[in-house]
Amino acid sequence: MEKLDQFKEMVKNRHDYAWSWKARTGGKVLGYCPPYMPEELAYAAGMLPVRLLAEQMPDVVSAKWIYASCYPAKNMTNMILSGVYDYMDVFVNIEDCQWMFNVFEVAMHTNPSLLTHYMFFTDYPEAPTAKDVTVSEYKVLKGKLETWSGKTITDEALDEAIAIYNTNRRLLRRIYELRRVYRTVILGSEMMYILLANQVTDKAEMNRLLEELIPELEKHEPFDDRLRLMLIGSETYSAELEELVESLGANVVVDELDNGSSSFWNEVVPQKDRLLALAFRYLGRPHSAMKDSNWRRRPQHIFELTEDYMVDGVLIVKQLLCHPHGSDNYALWKMLRERNIPYHFFERDTTLPPDETKIRLGGFLDMVRPGVTRIRGWHQPLVI
Amino acid sequence: MEQEYWKWPETGHTSTEIDWRKAKKVTAGVDIGSTSAQAVILCDGELFGWANIRIGVSFKKAADLAMEKAMGSSGMTLKDIGEIVSIGWGADNAAYATKKMNEIVCQAKGARYMFGPEVHTVVDLGGQSVAAIRLYDWDRVQDFFMNDKCATGMGRNVESLCELLQVPIEEIGELSLDVPGDPVPVSTTCYNFAETETMGLFGRPEYRSSPLTENQVYAAHLFAISTRASSVIGKLAPLDVGELSVYKELCFTGGLAKNKGVTKRIERDFKTTALTSEYDPQLAGAIGAALLAGTD
Repeated sequence: MEKLDQFKEMVKNRHDYAWSWKARTGGKVLGYCPPYMPEELAYAAGMLPVRLLAEQMPDVVSAKWIYASCYPAKNMTNMILSGVYDYMDVFVNIEDCQWMFNVFEVAMHTNPSLLTHYMFFTDYPEAPTAKDVTVSEYKVLKGKLETWSGKTITDEALDEAIAIYNTNRRLLRRIYELRRVYRTVILGSEMMYILLANQVTDKAEMNRLLEELIPELEKHEPFDDRLRLMLIGSETYSAELEELVESLGANVVVDELDNGSSSFWNEVVPQKDRLLALAFRYLGRPHSAMKDSNWRRRPQHIFELTEDYMVDGVLIVKQLLCHPHGSDNYALWKMLRERNIPYHFFERDTTLPPDETKIRLGGFLDMVRPGVTRIRGWHQPLVI
Repeated sequence: MEQEYWKWPETGHTSTEIDWRKAKKVTAGVDIGSTSAQAVILCDGELFGWANIRIGVSFKKAADLAMEKAMGSSGMTLKDIGEIVSIGWGADNAAYATKKMNEIVCQAKGARYMFGPEVHTVVDLGGQSVAAIRLYDWDRVQDFFMNDKCATGMGRNVESLCELLQVPIEEIGELSLDVPGDPVPVSTTCYNFAETETMGLFGRPEYRSSPLTENQVYAAHLFAISTRASSVIGKLAPLDVGELSVYKELCFTGGLAKNKGVTKRIERDFKTTALTSEYDPQLAGAIGAALLAGTD
């Protein structure tokens, strides 16, 4: 579908888009990597929040520590140092994983003209003091954004930003609803491109595109019934994996990725104290692996998604050296095993070796494909 | 000619007892791996011919040669084979194959054929990969794990180690077991580092007063390989069915299954004794492919 193809192009041309957005609006671009950035604040300040997406490129860094970072962090560092992100005026890092902090630190030390801000975000989102800490951090960030943009962030501007972001979340949820039926009208790779484009485009613009897309999707001829997979694990920056899954006759129907469903799953509930409303939204979003240490909400959330989306199996794909997703694997494996949900775990880097991945995906699909002894639906007990 | 220590013997056999012309169903499987290629021909489910060869520079030549060798001088031609299934890294190179399949399910099917119905865990120790497969029912895959991008410590690594240390590949395993206790394993993080480290063991200051014997050096290397494989096997979910543990009823397939220095250490890790079979363990994938040929 033509309307779907445009998102792939948008991801490909995202740097040109950012340059042209700056030229068009005279606004500033704010870059960020970890998942807890309150984008509404930046948007209300007239900035374009852009999530940094890694792509494979030659190394320009020879420092040894870079090889201990995960590949997306390594690639992002290369991209920043090579000038790919030169349109970025502000770089905000929210406390999350160590590797993204390394990217931030490199950017901070190598580009003096770049405005940088490090924001603390609690490791215990359910703790009684979490909301106060978050609000106070938002106040600091708000003050800085006002200074940088030269624009006061009024309550009205914040309300508008919240409304635009909530609309965006609602529209994406509507597309996800279309993925729940047995014969879906959208493929996992197409959805991934929408999600990636969503993170690098002005949300008001994106909302218009999504509003045009949804009626067409609803009328779209459904695809054949395919094996339904869920994708969880580290962030991904391309739809390569989804495309490989589709080439083998299956489809990723839902995900629980930081830059996937978790990024838009819940909305901001408006209230008088706008910063508190934002704090509740970000503290209440599906936890990232890094923040799911004490009150484990991710396993339950993932389980609910597997039920809602009737998945036949779960792919857990971790980026090599990703420490947050390395540490929560066992909780997820345990949950999936206890509920008899087939899953397959493997590690990848920014690139995906096609033949090797095809073999393991093919093996997994053979494993979950209904057969003599497996009736469709993971809830059926296995016959041993 | 100078001895090539890494070279393992190529094998093959074509039955003279089975008359393939009388068979109702002739199927074949060809497994083009990263390091070796196997071809198997079944006549009515019975093993008629097989070949196990090394892959040189051409996957395609290896695929053709393996099948040629399996057919031997029986007079059989490719046209006489009903369906040929190709699997493995180089599956695309078997131009004569009528179907391509996934190797995991073929390994499982082949292992059950070779080792019998009691097999519950298949450990495929290949040239560049290790896969641990859990089976249930007759030949269904319940769970499997594979190593990730890095091919450290698999068959190709042992080949290059044998060349480096000038020890015949068929002997290194047994020799590595002839040590009082396993020394500290070499780094398992990188194929190249592991080799450098192995050489370094000869000159390490802590070993200067009592240098490591050659067998201890082999042990340090093979211990690292078995540790790596064990970590993949260990990711399989424990199977709590009465007395049956996941690690009982285990079998090894692939080239490294012939290396006792690796298999005995894995058995020790899981306190089990692996099942044995009269078949060449490298044939599992090709047998499974041949069994699955002609099925939907």
